[in-house]
Amino acid sequence: MFGQYFYHEILRKTVIGFGTLFNAIEVRHSDDNDDVQSRMKVPLAYGPMQKFLAKIEQQPELKGRPAITLPRMSFEMTGINYDASRKASITQTFKTCNTGTLADLKKVYMPVPYNISFQLSIATKLNDDMLQILEQILPYFQPGLNISINLVSSIGEKRDVPIILENINMTDDYEGSFDNRRAMISTLTFTAKTYLFGKIADTSDGLIKRVQVDYFDGTNRVTAKRIQRYAATPRALKDYNDDATNAINKDLTAEQTVLSVNSASGFSVDDFIAIGNENMQVRSISGNELTVYRAVDGTTAIDHVAGSVINLISGSRDASLPLTGDDALIIAGDDFGFNELSSFYQDYKEYSPSQGTDV
Amino acid sequence: MALNPFFLHGSASEQRLVQDLINEQLRMFGVDIYYMPRKFLGSKTVMKENVLARFDDNYVIEAYLQNYEGFAGSGDLMTKFGIRTTDELTLVISKERYDDFVASFYDTTLAEEVLVARPKEGDLIYLPLTDSLFEIKFVEHENPFYQLGKLYMYELKCELFEYEDEVINTTIEEIDDNVQDIGYIANITFVGIGSTAAVTAGILTGAVNQIIMINDGYGYTSPPAVAISTSPAGITTANATVVAITTTAGAGSTTFSIKEVQITNPGFGYTQPPTVTFSGAGGVGAVARAGIATEGVTHIVNSSISTTGSNYVTAPVVSISTSPAGVSTANATAVAVVGTGGTISAIRFTNAGFGYTIAPTITIADPASAGIATGNFFINEVIRGESSLSTARVKSWDADTKILKISNIADPFRIGEVLTGTATTITNPGMANTGRYVIQTIQYEDKYDQYAENIVIESEADDILDFTETNPFGEF
Repeated sequence: MFGQYFYHEILRKTVIGFGTLFNAIEVRHSDDNDDVQSRMKVPLAYGPMQKFLAKIEQQPELKGRPAITLPRMSFEMTGINYDASRKASITQTFKTCNTGTLADLKKVYMPVPYNISFQLSIATKLNDDMLQILEQILPYFQPGLNISINLVSSIGEKRDVPIILENINMTDDYEGSFDNRRAMISTLTFTAKTYLFGKIADTSDGLIKRVQVDYFDGTNRVTAKRIQRYAATPRALKDYNDDATNAINKDLTAEQTVLSVNSASGFSVDDFIAIGNENMQVRSISGNELTVYRAVDGTTAIDHVAGSVINLISGSRDASLPLTGDDALIIAGDDFGFNELSSFYQDYKEYSPSQGTDV
Repeated sequence: MALNPFFLHGSASEQRLVQDLINEQLRMFGVDIYYMPRKFLGSKTVMKENVLARFDDNYVIEAYLQNYEGFAGSGDLMTKFGIRTTDELTLVISKERYDDFVASFYDTTLAEEVLVARPKEGDLIYLPLTDSLFEIKFVEHENPFYQLGKLYMYELKCELFEYEDEVINTTIEEIDDNVQDIGYIANITFVGIGSTAAVTAGILTGAVNQIIMINDGYGYTSPPAVAISTSPAGITTANATVVAITTTAGAGSTTFSIKEVQITNPGFGYTQPPTVTFSGAGGVGAVARAGIATEGVTHIVNSSISTTGSNYVTAPVVSISTSPAGVSTANATAVAVVGTGGTISAIRFTNAGFGYTIAPTITIADPASAGIATGNFFINEVIRGESSLSTARVKSWDADTKILKISNIADPFRIGEVLTGTATTITNPGMANTGRYVIQTIQYEDKYDQYAENIVIESEADDILDFTETNPFGEF
């Protein structure tokens, strides 16, 4: 039943995300004049490790070494629990695709919420060091702090993972015989509310690139007469193919509406064009001058200098035809407009998806 | 009842005899140890802690090792903080020998030295036998108990030293090198001896001489593309080109404004000021206008940089001879761009000037490392940054790779500043020159600590974490 290999490294990523929070803690020591004489970064490591590795890394030579260098911080994952309070419907799926591609659809079941317990331990030689370290950590947790982790990079799934400070425990064994060493260790317990994803399946479903709605004059499918059809396809709002159809040969202020080009042969009336970040639509053509509507499709009119390239935002502009030009190159995640088509009928036909025609 | 006066519990001569016998036994059957008293440099009140300490005196004294079968303690332990070694040791030293050969040499005028009359807890013992440092945790002075009415020896209960940032500077290499590779270590790389770059220039008419920012805009994620109207001269090299320089993002911000626009090619043949536009990089609002000049300084192309120089760390000052026009705005100004390998890769004008009748002289300042970058550093030497005035202590120095490992850093050093050592021929006989170098890079993260994984965790996290709102704990 299981046996389908997948590994998104979500637990490992959560461990790394947790660890990086405490990565740049500093401790400073001042002399009796309160001048800082020594500042040091506190070493941090994931506590559990192979014992032989610890030995060969930390004691490469078996010569006399100190007992340990302090201060040090260590963290480890201490438990994983299901979080029923964040449960989502188990049968629900969502589709997603890599942003920046044409279409690479994946099907994903809703992630399963799990709480991961972490323990951060701090060992110092001085009480003063301990207080410095704690004060650099605690104000950020009220009692939670969100970090955004790219949990599953193949589907671009970023989630905010709240890390909640649950408990702080300070120990300082200073009492008793002089034979025992004073040990100062603080232990902070955290819960990271993360999500685990199952296998991500490829799906043969495609991106929806055309929608069509037929209106009938009644609900009886036998007697109802077809009145109107509305179809829409996406229209590119920016230039994808970098066609550099022409360039303006005079400066253009934000207010001017007449473009002077070297040759108007590549343009026709109603074409959408882009200069830099501004989109325009050609209103009329006279010789080598284009009169345009400025700042269309929600762009802003700005000055353009002589020599700026004009790109044609090409496409069929007809919702009944297949996508061509820039319209066909729109990538997932981009904004787009619509090519629309309304048709009127007085017949009893309806569209058959299997035959691709009206029957 | 009083004691019987006809019996004596130890006469002075008997007590001296016992002390001499103990001294003789210790010198025959003991080992040499180095006694290193703690000097208190910084202490915290209320919490009662000595936070800064130095151990720079050492006294050789003979001691009897009570642990003849090996160290006490639990040996090496695997803990969540890495390996902790818990070796313990009990040493016996003679009271008389301590008074004569250790206590009497203390400088009692120093406030750093506390309680000199007896061996004290917190002092260090260097045991040459195992080449390790022990800290005295308890001094037992009443064992054996008043034989012949007197005490003759101290029993020192020691454990392996826990090192933090204490200065161990006894000048005995075998002792000092014990902490050479451990604790917090930052590293600095230096540049070699630098050579000065040189450029030549000409003059041209109708050049873009200045780009004046009218609005610096906001929201740019990177320097935007800047376009300038083409020149009527009709050839590519006549078209002016410029680059935008953004401001530095403030804390917590990832977007910038435009600080200035620098001219990479002033162009020529312009008869009226060209239009300047900004595009891309997500920002809005930046507006600038251009000025043109007769007889401005020409484009500094790569071939005009006759000598690229070497070992520049920061951009040097570029000086251009003044314009005969006689007003300050007529004088050309420029900045240098430091390329890979510390060479000057380009000169960009902030003002190409006007009114020049002959080609101006352009002088590029010497790199900071011109004429220096000599000498060596020594372990525990105090080094000082000449402009930051910060100090640190040398852990080790590699003259071949020019990498200096330091600790006990007082304040951050600055890239490009001159770092000078304090060693002299008195402290280090035989040295040729005091070390003096220009800082190229500083890495404050400790990459030598075998326990620390800070650098690994940070680089792994860079790939998976979205810190568009910045890591509140700071990144490196």
